[in-house]
Amino acid sequence: MYPHRTLGANLMAEFLLEAKNVSVTFGSGSTKVEAVKNCSLTLRSGEPIGIVGESGSGKSTLARVLAGLQAPTEGEIFFNGEPVYKGSKSYTGEARRQVQMVFQDPYGSLNPQLTGLNAVAEAVRIHDKTNKDESENRALELLRRMGIAELDAIKKPRQLSGGQRQRVSVARALSANPTVLLADEPTSAIDQSAQAQLLNLFRGLLDDGLSIVLVSHDLGVIRYLTQRVYVMKDGVFVESGITEEIFNDPLEDYTKLLLASIPGDLGVAARRKLNKN
Amino acid sequence: MSTGMESKTKKKFIKEGTFGIYTGFFMLGSLVLAGAIIPRISKYGPDELASMPLAPPSRANFFGTDVLGRDVFVRVFDAVFIDLGTAIIGVAIPLVVGTIIGTLLGISQNKRVNSVVGSLIDGINAFPFLVFVIALIAFIGPGVGSIVLAISLVNWARYARIARTRAVVVNKQGYVEAARTLGFSKKRILFKHIIPNVSSETRAYALSDFIIVIIAIAALSFLGLGIKPPQAEWGGMIRDGKDLLTVGFWWPTVFPGIALCWAGIAVAFISEGLTRRMREVGTR
Amino acid sequence: MSTPNKPLIQIKDVVIGIPHKRRPTLIIVDKANFDINYGEMVGIVGESGSGKTMICRTMIGTLERRGGKILSGEVIFEGQNLATASDATWKNLRGKSIGYVPQSALAGPNPVLTIEAQLTEALRNTGDTKNIKARSKELLDLVKIRRVDTVMKQYPYQLSGGMRQRVMIACALATSPKLLIADEPTTGLDVTVQSQIMDLLKEIRSTMGTAIVLISHDLALIDEVCDRVVVMHAGATVEVGSVKELEKPRHPYTIALNSSRIDIAKPGSELVTIKGNAPSVGEWNLGCRFAERCSIVQSDCKVGVHPELIGASGTHQSACIHTELLERI
Repeated sequence: MYPHRTLGANLMAEFLLEAKNVSVTFGSGSTKVEAVKNCSLTLRSGEPIGIVGESGSGKSTLARVLAGLQAPTEGEIFFNGEPVYKGSKSYTGEARRQVQMVFQDPYGSLNPQLTGLNAVAEAVRIHDKTNKDESENRALELLRRMGIAELDAIKKPRQLSGGQRQRVSVARALSANPTVLLADEPTSAIDQSAQAQLLNLFRGLLDDGLSIVLVSHDLGVIRYLTQRVYVMKDGVFVESGITEEIFNDPLEDYTKLLLASIPGDLGVAARRKLNKN
Repeated sequence: MSTGMESKTKKKFIKEGTFGIYTGFFMLGSLVLAGAIIPRISKYGPDELASMPLAPPSRANFFGTDVLGRDVFVRVFDAVFIDLGTAIIGVAIPLVVGTIIGTLLGISQNKRVNSVVGSLIDGINAFPFLVFVIALIAFIGPGVGSIVLAISLVNWARYARIARTRAVVVNKQGYVEAARTLGFSKKRILFKHIIPNVSSETRAYALSDFIIVIIAIAALSFLGLGIKPPQAEWGGMIRDGKDLLTVGFWWPTVFPGIALCWAGIAVAFISEGLTRRMREVGTR
Repeated sequence: MSTPNKPLIQIKDVVIGIPHKRRPTLIIVDKANFDINYGEMVGIVGESGSGKTMICRTMIGTLERRGGKILSGEVIFEGQNLATASDATWKNLRGKSIGYVPQSALAGPNPVLTIEAQLTEALRNTGDTKNIKARSKELLDLVKIRRVDTVMKQYPYQLSGGMRQRVMIACALATSPKLLIADEPTTGLDVTVQSQIMDLLKEIRSTMGTAIVLISHDLALIDEVCDRVVVMHAGATVEVGSVKELEKPRHPYTIALNSSRIDIAKPGSELVTIKGNAPSVGEWNLGCRFAERCSIVQSDCKVGVHPELIGASGTHQSACIHTELLERI
């Protein structure tokens, strides 16, 4: 059992999203790949969590399981206490609406044939069942909240920067009025200044009551946004607990390695501490 | 040194590829217009005895007369609709059928279906286009309908292959996954998100395929397998006149040949113009 | 090896544009100004569209192939002006005195050649064809690749992104270049890999004395590994200085970039962001191109040409004409 430190109070609160003994195995026989091995995690309302690991750790697969896109080979996901997969390949019903995801690659996340406005308005129309005008108004509002002016909303994705595309993706995800937002490496493919904008946006959404699961390979980003974090390596969680505590006092060697790799001052400080021990 | 394009002095610039697109459409348009008007206003019908057989081009008969004495000018333009029309249908049907089948195959998870239909597609594509079509027509019998049927039966597979490869890629894209998380219906995802992004490639192929099909139709008629006489048709006219070329009667063959080239070059211009325009858009 | 006093490469008032058949030339860089000294590690930081990639191409001579053209200014490498250099001159420099490591996501080792074949090709550039295999292994050693014998026989697809980048670095180092240009070498790679590659670059710099130009959008990264920093915004060099000098930046853009760093942010607090976007190429305003996003903008900032760098080369230079107002930010 890996080291796990829990929040003191609030153990009685129901979990918004919970993964119990989830495993995901691809292929069979000689080509079997165990991407996720027996992972369990919990997400409480209003408590953003992070999943940190390098490429190949299985974190993206786990994120897709949590987002309802990939059924686990074993284990189950519970949304508000109710199991959601129940043998089917994806989420259905309320869970489908309330759990949304933002993907890593801003260049593939938007339909190249639709303007940002059309993409978001389409999603609004499906969820609110409104007519064209109302859905466009709501879409413009959502985009404005994400810092996309009307002038940019009517542009096609190829005319937008990576950061802008990510924000349009977030607006689109929000059109479903979700309670949970999964973000798989949302900042990895964009500039530092665009990263800051996007993270600020997420922080604002947290204040509005959205629960976020942030998946990243950068502990610096995780530290900024999350309260609890799961450290993942080769499909398993090696350590988890309150983000601040993991930062100040990592127990596992792998966690220490991740801390030492954060670019900039944080990494330097972590390395200094490591070398002292 | 100027600092980029200052907005006040921005002129309207000609987009890349405009020359090609306009030229091509002009060429095609004029051909179609001529095909509509000339047979109507001409003194001679396409199947009427106009003058002496094999009369050279003159004021009375601009393109001369063929071996049966028919006016070549009116025949060349009478053939426009049937030649172009058949070609359009011969491209449209495989485009639609091939795109849909290829897309469905590309997004299908079913291994058995994928392997069976996939092999069928690869099998059909292995044969040279014209050879296969000729073989089919030998089976079905000649005629306009047979041409369209035979071409469709062979050509859909080429579109399907393009569509399948593209559909596999599109299916993995973030916006398709996003459509799934947003709970869009499968129908919506397929028709509004996947197919439009797959058909962009198949439609591009259709343009160059059009040229191949026009020539194939002419070739089939040349071989006597296509459109039945006495309907004027470029391939047939070329066949009827080919033996006379060596003895100096060039006009029954050359004029329909030029018409064929005209149509092909027009489409080539459009295709090239569009490609250049797409490339320019892509680099910004 | 004593390092000469003159800089290794000087970019002087360089203006780069993309000529077009039917339209006016599109200006991408106006102006770029900085020096790189022997054996130093310089970071060029800027957002996408700042012109940093164009500068990179200028330094390795692939600008024309990509449709660009140096419209004015000089690129002086060891006394020679490369702005007007012929293809033949470049053939002798590129891959020999000047090495290049591309962005890992965009380019990499040739997928159809084994690692050994790639290194052999790179080593042939030195003109010395003796002991190529042994020297290849040495190069892999230099970039800290273990199991050298196995890797030599492998193809790029069998290696991880980080290892492929190491191979690219090894190929670039084959000729012991005086200048190594690394264009966003770790963008898209995990931070753990990034950290290792940065350590590798630092070591190469100290053991081989190679000057390294690191191009990145990540100020925190450049801050950590480089000696000096060149800040680019919308095609212009806006600040140049040592990492230490840049702890007290003297241009509003650098200040804003610095403030938006995640590593120095307090968790949960509002991150300072730079409002708006940099003007895209073709839509540059008169005067300073940061004016629309600047919190201390004055009326004279938006007229005339873009401000030049104030200060002598080698000192802390800034292109802001109102540095007296900086403390207001």
